[in-house]
Amino acid sequence: MVLAVLQGVSELFPVSSLGHTVLLPALLRWHIDEGSESFLAFVVVLHLGTALALIVFYREDWVRIVRALVTTIVRGKITDDRDERTAWLLVVATIPVGVLGVLLQSPVKQLFASPLPVSAFLFFNGFVMLLGEWLRRRQHARAGHPYKRLEGLAFADGVFVGFAQALALLPGISRSGSAIVAGLLRDLRHEDAARYSFLLATPVILAAGVLEFPKLFTPAAHDVLLEACAGGVLAGVTAYASVAFLTRWFRHNDLTPFAWYCIVAGAGSFILFATKVIA
Amino acid sequence: MKQLALVLAVVFLIIAVLYWTGHFYPAGVHTKHGIVAIVLALLCIVWYRFQSAANVR
Repeated sequence: MVLAVLQGVSELFPVSSLGHTVLLPALLRWHIDEGSESFLAFVVVLHLGTALALIVFYREDWVRIVRALVTTIVRGKITDDRDERTAWLLVVATIPVGVLGVLLQSPVKQLFASPLPVSAFLFFNGFVMLLGEWLRRRQHARAGHPYKRLEGLAFADGVFVGFAQALALLPGISRSGSAIVAGLLRDLRHEDAARYSFLLATPVILAAGVLEFPKLFTPAAHDVLLEACAGGVLAGVTAYASVAFLTRWFRHNDLTPFAWYCIVAGAGSFILFATKVIA
Repeated sequence: MKQLALVLAVVFLIIAVLYWTGHFYPAGVHTKHGIVAIVLALLCIVWYRFQSAANVR
């Protein structure tokens, strides 16, 4: 249940859910076999719960986006309509993370999913968010440099955000954090960058859950199905609360507190693991 | 561009089949890789559709 809450919160907060899933059990000396069929089934349900929460939260947006997507395909043209542009900005940004995710996830996880590199990446994640905030402030300190609305982004900007999001394949780098920073560097306000990041998260997390769906039907998974379902509901509820909180937060605040959290947590964990205080 | 979209769609379709039959690098059946290739093929078909509609206009 702790892992379910952790997934629901850290998947959307810009602090890396994958990083926390590696670091927290190691810090608390939990012995979890992350390769076991029962654990994988548990993770699948957590992902589905989180994706469902995002769909429910943005249900009106998703109805408009899907309708706009179908309309553009039937018509054979993308107009300047807000929903049509948002729909295709989501598509172009999902392609890099989808392709790189499927091709690189396993090798990257095998290489880096141990506490020491994860701590370093978490520190780096915080540093990148601080750097992103600094660059954005410098960019907009110049008079007359306008902010864009989400639908005002060029499709090339969407691809840029998609590649930034793919950095989160490295455990410790936050998907939402890197996507928000990329959005800020493309002149979005925090509110729009966060909305883009959360809308982008939905197909990615949903695909991660659906593609692994067969793992729910293994004999080992059958034993933990009840716990997994409870975990999925808990992850969904916490994800809903997280996205509700974060959308309000980014109306008037920035990434700085999350960046400092990642820097302190990353550096602290790195020291603990490097000095073998925690083996 | 219209022809490129069509060629890419066919290429991704072939890659998907090769992944599903286990004849593409890395060795073995890769269902998820195949699904991504099919999605890319579909997107290329949509791209082709946009190009065709633009030509008609």
